[in-house]
Amino acid sequence: MATVSAASVRFASLKPASRSNQANGVTSGVMFVTIGTSKLGFPSLRSSRFRVHCAAKPETVNKVIDIVKKQLALSDDTSLTPESKFSSLGADSLDTVEIVMCLEEEFDISVDEDNSQNITTVQEAADLIEKLVLQKAEAD
Amino acid sequence: MSALAALKMVKVPPNSASVGEARKRTLEFFKMACRSLPSVMEIYNLDDVVTVSHLRSAISAQIRKNAHINNPKVIDLLLFKATEELSNIVTHSKQRHHVIGQYVLGHEGLMQDMGTKDEGISEFLKQFYTSNYF
Repeated sequence: MATVSAASVRFASLKPASRSNQANGVTSGVMFVTIGTSKLGFPSLRSSRFRVHCAAKPETVNKVIDIVKKQLALSDDTSLTPESKFSSLGADSLDTVEIVMCLEEEFDISVDEDNSQNITTVQEAADLIEKLVLQKAEAD
Repeated sequence: MSALAALKMVKVPPNSASVGEARKRTLEFFKMACRSLPSVMEIYNLDDVVTVSHLRSAISAQIRKNAHINNPKVIDLLLFKATEELSNIVTHSKQRHHVIGQYVLGHEGLMQDMGTKDEGISEFLKQFYTSNYF
């Protein structure tokens, strides 16, 4: 069952599969940790999206939210949850790229072309940042 | 590295087939420009004048000014000129006052030393350059 859940995590791209992962609860979270980075040992709390390897740290998410607010010139009381999509906040494709560039500069990482296509929400951006920061730390 | 990449593209790649491909090229150009911004800041000693985010928003404002265009050939030509401009800047063919005047200062930028001379000026005159109606 554990291997099945890993396979479905890797290849399935439909929400129903990820919901069945959620039913497995902590088990799927542990699978994530062993596949992905082993330094952050807590299971994924946001398992509603299959691409998440491990939950991003809250301060990373907060930094991303701040940058998004500044770039899109949103007022301070617009509620930005990690699940909010950039397009629903009024950002077109150029705005999205600009946000990604701003994050690149802020965290000193560089995002590849294929990675940047997938970033549509704040949470995805934060996760990608975490992954790249860890890769960079390992490479140094 | 970005300067070399920029020079490579000056050799006229084939035309974009569709608006989608032109959009991809625009975003690619924007990414290249943003990645070369730190070296631009260093070349022209802009560290105490402007930040990288200011330059980035200046670039995106210029791109957005032409966002309404639908013809892929027109977009290609605009990208060609943009790449030429970027490679001029990166290879230090321009000078500091060019860069500051074109990308750092806004419309009112050149008239910012208003100082004490204009303190008693009327509201009408203050908004004379912007619009008739206020």
